[in-house]
Amino acid sequence: MNNSKTRLSARQIRTKMTPYWFIAPATITILCLVVYPILYGIYISFFDTNLVNKWKFVGLKYYLQSMTDASFLHSLGKTMIFTVCVVGGHFIIGFILASILNGKIKFRTIFRGILILPWLFPDVVIAYLYKWILNTQGGILNQLLMEMHIISEPVGWLSTSATAFPCVIMVSIWKGFPLVLVQILAGMQTISADLYEAADIDGATRMQKFRYVTLPSLKPILTTILILDTVWVFKQFTLIWLMTSGGPGSATMVSAIEIYKNAFSYFKYGYASAQSVYILLICYLIGVVFRRLLRDE
Amino acid sequence: MNNKKHNQRIISGLSYVVLVLCCLIVLLPLSWMVITSLKSMQDITLSKGLDLFPSGPSIANFINIWKDYPIATYFKNSILSVGGSTIIGVFCASLCGYALSRYTFKGKEFLLKFLLVTQMFPAVMKIIPYYKILVTVHLNNTITGLMIVYASFTIPFCTWMMYGYFKSISTVLDEAARVDGCSAFYTFWKIILPLALPGLVATTIYAFLQNWNEYMFASVLMSADAKKTITYAISTMADAYKIQWNYLMCIAIVSSIPTLIVFIVLQKHLIAGMTAGAVKE
Repeated sequence: MNNSKTRLSARQIRTKMTPYWFIAPATITILCLVVYPILYGIYISFFDTNLVNKWKFVGLKYYLQSMTDASFLHSLGKTMIFTVCVVGGHFIIGFILASILNGKIKFRTIFRGILILPWLFPDVVIAYLYKWILNTQGGILNQLLMEMHIISEPVGWLSTSATAFPCVIMVSIWKGFPLVLVQILAGMQTISADLYEAADIDGATRMQKFRYVTLPSLKPILTTILILDTVWVFKQFTLIWLMTSGGPGSATMVSAIEIYKNAFSYFKYGYASAQSVYILLICYLIGVVFRRLLRDE
Repeated sequence: MNNKKHNQRIISGLSYVVLVLCCLIVLLPLSWMVITSLKSMQDITLSKGLDLFPSGPSIANFINIWKDYPIATYFKNSILSVGGSTIIGVFCASLCGYALSRYTFKGKEFLLKFLLVTQMFPAVMKIIPYYKILVTVHLNNTITGLMIVYASFTIPFCTWMMYGYFKSISTVLDEAARVDGCSAFYTFWKIILPLALPGLVATTIYAFLQNWNEYMFASVLMSADAKKTITYAISTMADAYKIQWNYLMCIAIVSSIPTLIVFIVLQKHLIAGMTAGAVKE
């Protein structure tokens, strides 16, 4: 009797332990390669350091310094504008195209296949492709516009402050909309047709169906994609870095590039780390705010 | 009624216009990449006015780049590090996603939330610590090092994706397997995972694309020429004082081929997988 009781509890313990075995590989990797680096990054932010032999504790100095650093604040502003424009673009285009593709459309597979293409090319490839298209010397865009007599002189699209930022935004929208499109489309296809039929019987218009059936059904998926897309765009580095390196001047200097330059061009590791802690906090806040706003109206 | 039908037709016509327009916006820049890659350097530098098409299209560039640059090495580095990290990452993520969908345990809610929060950590913030860690364990400039780093990038989001698919699979089978005396791992590996195959494929494509795409970490962690990944190698070629655009576009195309192949082969599963699971909360 006693024996079977202990055996049972041993088995119970084993059953209780099962999920932990399953999550162990992922959790251990995340602890070592996500949590530890972040903690280490926060640690660095309190030091004036060259990462080798100079470790001078400076407390919150870098945090306070960042708050009054004009170029950091400027980069934050740029990042905000960039994020709003790019995420907005992704969602508007993604939504329109997903709605169309979700309807009765001929050649749907072909259209879908083409529209997904930008997602399949690496950022590096897209950055250089557009650098070439927008190039002052021999770039196809300038050549076409001159041929059509819209401009008389080649425009330095990426080397003029006024045009560089809009160009970078356009390219980022072009590159990133397919992922949002695919996710929204996937979400739309899970909505039961019964709901639309019911709405039809009630005499709902197209707009009403969108407002009262499509949007509410998509809300959980939309919230997640919106948060993820926002933080991904907020951290965008490769495209901008390769196209303009933040220039000309500071016209495309988003925070990720500002921080990268502080760390790897000026070797101000502590300062760069403090600034990235700010970015982390901002991204986290964005997530919290979106969740609050979109949870239950 | 007639009016409604008329409206319907206008909307449907408009839909095709929008679709075709968007497809053109996608295809035109990409076709420019292909056209440039077929041009000779003379076509590019000496062209006066508008020369849309190469004077004599040739694939000479595609042959020359293999001779002029160690593309094969770059490719091998990319395939090994990205392929390895995808397998490790998706395996860990499937295990974790399965547990999250099937069991209730302490810290589950926290873990789910934390996986999303990890996406918010600025990459620049991680790069200094990564560099230090890899140097400490002598894994900088090694494929293994990059593989582990890439796996850690994909695990959080892939776990989230797999969690979504597993949730859409009924737990009845798990219970039946348990009654039959299968171990938890056996149930996962032999019964549930095969059912989640579409989701698994979608997650794998996602992880592969994500890592193949990666640039910043490769540039810092794999600085030795023999260890460069293809995406990073492209940028170092372009850094030379004079950019040979036709060569660059060639290499750009070649470097995109693996992701295109992966996608074309698995496309059906990808869409099906995303539809079945989607990124649900």
